[in-house]
Amino acid sequence: MINKQMNLKFFILFFYLFIFLFVYSGVVIAQQVSLSISPPLLELVIKPGKSIMVAYRVENSGDPVILTSKILPFEPKDNLGNIRIKKEFEGPVRFSLDNADLQLEQPFFLKTGDSQQLLLRIRLPEGTPEGDYYYTLLTEAAPPKSSEGIGSARARAAIGSNILITVTESGSVEVKPRVALFSTIGGLTLGQDLKIYDSFDKIPLILIVENKGKNMIKPEGEITLKGNFGEEIKHDVIPKNILSLSQRLVEATPSAQFEKPVSLVLSGFFVGLYRLSTKLTFGENSPTVFASTSFLALPFKLIIGLIVVIIITILVIRKFSKNEDED
Amino acid sequence: MKYLVFSIKIIFLAFFLYTLYFILYTDVQAVDMESPRFRIESANTSSAAGNKSSTNYKLSDTIGQLAAGKFSSTGYVVKAGFQYLRSVIPFRFSISDINVSLGTLTPNTPSTATTVLTVYSGAAGQYQVTAIEEGQLKTLSGKAIPDTSCNGDAETCTESVAKTWNSNTAYGFGYNMSGDDIPADFSTSSHYRPFPNQFTPESPTVVMSSVNVGKNHQATMTFKANISQIQEAGSYQTIINFVATPSY
Repeated sequence: MINKQMNLKFFILFFYLFIFLFVYSGVVIAQQVSLSISPPLLELVIKPGKSIMVAYRVENSGDPVILTSKILPFEPKDNLGNIRIKKEFEGPVRFSLDNADLQLEQPFFLKTGDSQQLLLRIRLPEGTPEGDYYYTLLTEAAPPKSSEGIGSARARAAIGSNILITVTESGSVEVKPRVALFSTIGGLTLGQDLKIYDSFDKIPLILIVENKGKNMIKPEGEITLKGNFGEEIKHDVIPKNILSLSQRLVEATPSAQFEKPVSLVLSGFFVGLYRLSTKLTFGENSPTVFASTSFLALPFKLIIGLIVVIIITILVIRKFSKNEDED
Repeated sequence: MKYLVFSIKIIFLAFFLYTLYFILYTDVQAVDMESPRFRIESANTSSAAGNKSSTNYKLSDTIGQLAAGKFSSTGYVVKAGFQYLRSVIPFRFSISDINVSLGTLTPNTPSTATTVLTVYSGAAGQYQVTAIEEGQLKTLSGKAIPDTSCNGDAETCTESVAKTWNSNTAYGFGYNMSGDDIPADFSTSSHYRPFPNQFTPESPTVVMSSVNVGKNHQATMTFKANISQIQEAGSYQTIINFVATPSY
């Protein structure tokens, strides 16, 4: 009897634990990291000897994670706006955190959904040479622990926010722009500059601006298309920073997806000679730069199609005429 | 009878409320503004935003975000936040799985595993994600699986050029990309590249990049390892450093 009661109790306990397992068991998912940072870009014009504090917010939307924030300098990698972060810190700018309980390169823990404010102090020592200094505030997550016995690749995720610092004593900056390239691509080249396209072709245009100065610049302006009948279309240039001693592909709006990065894609039915010009300014009292190019568009495909249709029609008519003569 | 009358009253009341709902219903939407180039998720609707000035300073701000706005004071001017970046969407980077298991590696049988990279680039517009390995896949004792050269000969891949890797006798460790904003040379699921190695004079390689504003740029990275018969048994591991940065 006692044995029977024990068995019953054991069964009830087992049943309870079985139910408990199904009610409270969670889904086991892969370890995920999801970080966000705000603001993603900071532009600062500052005098030597001054310091400012900027508040950043880092948020964790993934699994609980240990994060570390650090500052590294960067340089432009290409003319498309990509960057190359340098391995070691360099430059005269001094960075620190004003947080009471946190320093740069000191790990901190963030639960899922939590965020951390980073009070970044940027200090320019007296005597800092005038010019531009570019840095990235990187916040990186520690990789997970390794799993024994299997091959695995663990990921260390980092998110960055760029800091563009212009150091100037007087407040004035050096603006030395130059249009490095303003040309349509593709088509047939006639002579030195003139390009020929089919009337139905999409015509991609590239505008690359070079900054020869020691401070970053931001172009504003437009690209104008003029036809041989006086028609005119204007496209506004999208202002983007061009870092010192670098080039950047400048885009205009409305732009379109193309197989490679371009400034503008002209589409429509073009017939005749067209002239493209651009006029760019870089803020008050700055030089204005101009560039122009031309292209010729003719309906080659339409003409070839018409010729083919005419030839086929003539051949068909001749064949029918011959058949009628034989009859 | 009483029940029938009550039911009819309920139906009339429900019909009345239903009609009222459709008459008085109006769309409530966030202020979305977009062009092919830019998308503003939510415009600034705060009455506190705007320009302020006194004899000593000029302040133009948009509240709701830390460090937002342009301010000038003696000696510096700061520009940050959505007033300049046309958006309130934070720059976000996610990796779906940061512990990618290739399982037990068997000679001449390639092992693959995937992870998904997601970028919400809204605030920044343009972005890039780079990757670099902290050394080759290797055991604690230093035995390494070399980085892949893909099938070799005409199909030899490099850190910047993906080539076909479908031979079971071509050994190494590499990755394939598929999805949004990936390098054009990953033209098929058989195209692989080796990771650049940070212990050699190699730079991180761009695995995702875009010049377009968007909320959900997503790409799948497939890791692949294939070992030869003479590869020593062990737990082969490495760390891949992913860095997501907005443009400037």
